[in-house]
Amino acid sequence: MTRLSGGLVDRSQTLNFTFDGKQYHGYPGDTLASALLANGVRLMGRSFKYHRPRGVFSAGSEEPNALVELRSGARQEPNTRATVAELFEGLVARSQNRWPSLGFDALAVNDLLSPFFTAGFYYKTFMWPKAFWEMLYEPAIRKAAGLGSLSMQADPDAYDKGFLHCDVLVIGGGPAGLAAVLTAARSGARVILADEDFRLGGRLLAETETLDGAPATDWISALETEFESLPNVRVMRRTTVFGVFDHGIYGAVERVSDHLAEPGDKVRQTLWRITAKRAILASGATERPIAFADNDRPGIMLAGAMRAYANRWAACPSKTIAVFTNNDDGHRTARDLAAKGVHVAAVIDARREARARGDYRVIAGGMVTGSRGRLGLRAIEVSTNGRREWIECGSLGVSGGWNPNVHLTSHHRGRPVWNEALQAFLPGADGPAGLLPVGAAAGHFSTAQTLRSGAEAALRALTELAIAAAPPVLPQSEESGYGVAPIFHVAGKKRAWVDFQNDVTVKDLKIAHAENMRPVEHLKRYTTLGMATDQGKTSNVTGLAVMAELTGKSIPETGTTIFRPPYTPVTISVLGGGDTGPHFRPRRLTPTHNWAEAQGAVFVETGQWMRAEYFPRQSETHWRQSVDRETKAVRSAVGLCDVSTLGKVDVQGADAGEFLNRLYSNVMDTLKVGRVRYGLMLREDGFAYDDGTCARLAEDHYVVTTTTANAGLVYRNMEFARQCLWPELDVQVISTTDAWAQIAVAGPKSRALLTRIVDGFDLSNDAFPFMACAELVVCGGLRARLFRISFSGELAFEIAVPARYGHALMERLMQAGADLGATPYGVEALSVLRVEKGHVGGSELNGQSTAAMLGLGKMVSQKKDAIGAVMSRREGLAGDIRRIVGLQPVERAGKVVAGSHLFTVGAPQNLDTDQGWITSACYSPHVGSMIGLGFLENGDQRIGEVIVAANPVEGESERLRIVPAHFVDPEGARLRD
Amino acid sequence: MTDLTAFTALGAAQPRLASFEALDIRENPELALASLALRRGSIRPAPFGLHLPEPGRWVAGQGVAAFWVGPDQWMIEAEGRAEENFAADLKQASPDCTVTEQTDGWIVFEIVSRSGRAPLEELLSKLVNIDLADFELGRATRTGLEDMSCFVIRRNETHVAVMGARSFAGSLWHALETAVSRLQT
Amino acid sequence: MLIPHPILGSRDAREFTYLGDVRLVDRPDPTGPDAEAAFCDYVFLRDNPAGVHRELWFHEQGDRSCLVVTRSTITHDILGAELARDFALARKRGGE
Repeated sequence: MTRLSGGLVDRSQTLNFTFDGKQYHGYPGDTLASALLANGVRLMGRSFKYHRPRGVFSAGSEEPNALVELRSGARQEPNTRATVAELFEGLVARSQNRWPSLGFDALAVNDLLSPFFTAGFYYKTFMWPKAFWEMLYEPAIRKAAGLGSLSMQADPDAYDKGFLHCDVLVIGGGPAGLAAVLTAARSGARVILADEDFRLGGRLLAETETLDGAPATDWISALETEFESLPNVRVMRRTTVFGVFDHGIYGAVERVSDHLAEPGDKVRQTLWRITAKRAILASGATERPIAFADNDRPGIMLAGAMRAYANRWAACPSKTIAVFTNNDDGHRTARDLAAKGVHVAAVIDARREARARGDYRVIAGGMVTGSRGRLGLRAIEVSTNGRREWIECGSLGVSGGWNPNVHLTSHHRGRPVWNEALQAFLPGADGPAGLLPVGAAAGHFSTAQTLRSGAEAALRALTELAIAAAPPVLPQSEESGYGVAPIFHVAGKKRAWVDFQNDVTVKDLKIAHAENMRPVEHLKRYTTLGMATDQGKTSNVTGLAVMAELTGKSIPETGTTIFRPPYTPVTISVLGGGDTGPHFRPRRLTPTHNWAEAQGAVFVETGQWMRAEYFPRQSETHWRQSVDRETKAVRSAVGLCDVSTLGKVDVQGADAGEFLNRLYSNVMDTLKVGRVRYGLMLREDGFAYDDGTCARLAEDHYVVTTTTANAGLVYRNMEFARQCLWPELDVQVISTTDAWAQIAVAGPKSRALLTRIVDGFDLSNDAFPFMACAELVVCGGLRARLFRISFSGELAFEIAVPARYGHALMERLMQAGADLGATPYGVEALSVLRVEKGHVGGSELNGQSTAAMLGLGKMVSQKKDAIGAVMSRREGLAGDIRRIVGLQPVERAGKVVAGSHLFTVGAPQNLDTDQGWITSACYSPHVGSMIGLGFLENGDQRIGEVIVAANPVEGESERLRIVPAHFVDPEGARLRD
Repeated sequence: MTDLTAFTALGAAQPRLASFEALDIRENPELALASLALRRGSIRPAPFGLHLPEPGRWVAGQGVAAFWVGPDQWMIEAEGRAEENFAADLKQASPDCTVTEQTDGWIVFEIVSRSGRAPLEELLSKLVNIDLADFELGRATRTGLEDMSCFVIRRNETHVAVMGARSFAGSLWHALETAVSRLQT
Repeated sequence: MLIPHPILGSRDAREFTYLGDVRLVDRPDPTGPDAEAAFCDYVFLRDNPAGVHRELWFHEQGDRSCLVVTRSTITHDILGAELARDFALARKRGGE
């Protein structure tokens, strides 16, 4: 066992967990990584490309190696970083990217073949033949090189989202962040603290240094208590701010119950959109390694991580350790571990002037030049002034210096700036507005500096927001130096890893250099350096430094890569938001929805609406039976259909008529009060856009309808026209689509039926002719609107009542019309009826048709301007000779298929000979065969001709006769009856 | 009166009422609604003695209330008058204006907290992106809620109304219920 | 993004629908001698500046105002916003 004394784990409780099927135990406060180390497990994974044995490398979210599959069943989650997975009772984890086992991985043969797998290998090798890439190479490579596997089941957990607003957002709960929060909290400003860890304190938790002479945790606890008591402070643990978006918007993921075996009633994670007037970036720094030969064995880790495991988690990978450093910080690791009783075999300090800071051996000017140990480190080779020696140790802490976590400052393309003294990139001045980097993220590496910078930035932010604040009393703390030397890798022939997750070595960088892939963006893509899920947090700067050395340029001349969101990986589930299945997006239900459901209606989604498609009866086994019956009922008796989904816009004002004149291609201001007119709208480019009706209820009051599909768009265009094009007109437009339930009452017996429900209203043809409208009273006192319009070609009406009465009105009409054969019909029959009548629908109004093509050329007034009028006359549109026609199979049993293209009989079938296409098709009970509508060149002059409809998708071809686009009552006698 | 039966937007004869740990949500079908828009040259009226509110605000009067909807446009509310032709009354009270009946265009949910403002604000933070520090009593705004466009009105410290288009009633209820139930855990 | 609504203050850009270049306000004279060519430009041609751009944002999920927003397409900084109605009226008064 390698559990040490002390630490911030709760030994009063034991947590059982398994890794690759083997039982272990740990304590609350452990991560999976710390618990495994405490159980003597160093080997945790296999590398991406070479399947090299790997152990944990870091103690935080930057981890490149220890990626595991966490949980089982549907919750199985690949590529989870063991370093941030909180331990819970019953946790199940498995290593990944190995077969048959972690200890013996057959694909480790890749490692022996590594000379072939260097940078650019894929580009060079799998070039030819092209088709083999998808079929053969890629699947094979994916199988061999990879990450964890998916459960292939739906995620059973719920995810949430939310919105927060604050004056100051503090990102990171280490010393700098806490000092900032403290300052802002006491000013009364609204403060949010988001920290990715489950415990506040950041790096303070990993160090032994004191604040005001007491353990740092005392100070942190006192602050937590204070923050808890302040209503203006919200502390969000387990919350990663992953991106900075425009104008002070920050994306954050709160892992609400990732630390529980199952979320229970809770959501798994919450996506927060935080709008902050100012943000303080206290994201700390990430240590970087020094690359040397065979530097990837389990047991070799970052020195700061080794110290964190010892101090915070009382865990150490081995009883004997060594440290390889180019700075003072490495010595802290040696000092702290020695104090915990771990044997420090040596501190190899690359700096010649190095000296010991405690009771351990220092090898000044030394370099680690090799390592041994197949599945875990056994010994390291140290070279000093040409002398080599092997030092036995089970773990090596490596420190090549610290890189400030500048990531978020780059999210608006801000470029970090190289600092020679710190040998690191610091946030540039061109970061997102309102985002202030502090503490280690800004290059302040001592605790005292860090605390001060946090407090100062908070004061600056508050001053900018005109919030009065006083500087807080900060605890006494260490002002230590750092003294980093510019040493990034150790020269040598063997492979030295730079990017552990993507298996990129110094050798790969040399190849990229030799092949002139030197600009940093090329380097990155050619070698895949920094392109793994860790985004190169521990490797990018080292990679750049090596390239700088190879090119003989400085690091800033070589460049830097900037970062994009997300800072750490974000699950698709949480981005997808809360709802799945039927609630994936909101649905709109018609006023008669429940009634239709009770009638056994089959529903269809039309946009957001759920509409009754047809109403099957028990004896009917095929949808066509229902639809034919419903269609016939309208033609012979009376049918009822909920048409509430049509857009209904109230247009009022002194200039309402003039306004509609400019929106519709035809004239609307001459419409008499109490009358309805069919209207056609064009787009400004001259194509047909939408159709509907305008009813004039009063001199200054119209109600217009739009198609269901375009209701929102037309309403938007009306607002655009009203505000932007003709603001001088007195007109108000208000959508009332949902306020009214509207039912089509269609068929020769529709008048008879309506007569039974109206309260003293004369429905006779003289009093209420075709295209009349009125406000009236029905069913004993209910206000209603009645329109005599027809989509089916039959005598028909549409009646509108306040939506709450839609259901009851439908029931009443069904009851009152029982003896008349009243029949509900759905959108399928509605469509058949309109095709039979030759009314255009969405398939004809498809954005590619002109008014003339639709047979509505006369509706484009030449006497007035309207949207689209000028452009409708341009050559390309006016010259389109296709016209709408009806189509009927020559053989009665023949098929008419929408989308088929039309050709002259006997002509070759190609683009040049194409004469048009079929837009709508259905079976017509009225005609007794299939029928269709289509656009055909000079179609209006070719009535009677037989043509061929080709459907190459199905290999079908059908002879069709061209007929007028009115299969029912071409004279329109019925609807005027 | 008509002998037809009215159904609420959620499709039942009776309005839905649900109680959660700290919040009650009540479907309010009794609220009459009509929009009022100024015409060119019309003077801002004071229907039923209401002082029409400034942008982003809601005011209550005797049995009636109003909130700002857009430039020169308000929604007038009248509690308990949904069965009447309230729009006609409003037109009479402000004859120079455009009045449009809206009663059944909307579903209205009254959300009331039984333990102060905190649960209500916690709920709103899950639903709408509005800055609650700027959403005190008498504020009203229209914004997106789960891809639905809704009015949110702060009737008092512990009472918020959420109004959505009537046809979205079921989806809006689902959104509210889900968010409220998640507050409890 | 946040759009500084001239009446309602800072609003989430997701409440808005983007309508495009502000020149959509300048609908050509349909009776002009070169009306067709003018409309052709109006409908199809847009500048695509890297820098300051004036554009229309429709507050569709809010108060349904059209706004003229002046925005840098490089930095997304918003330099100003006004009601399109006021903008269009001023334009017309300008005698165009």
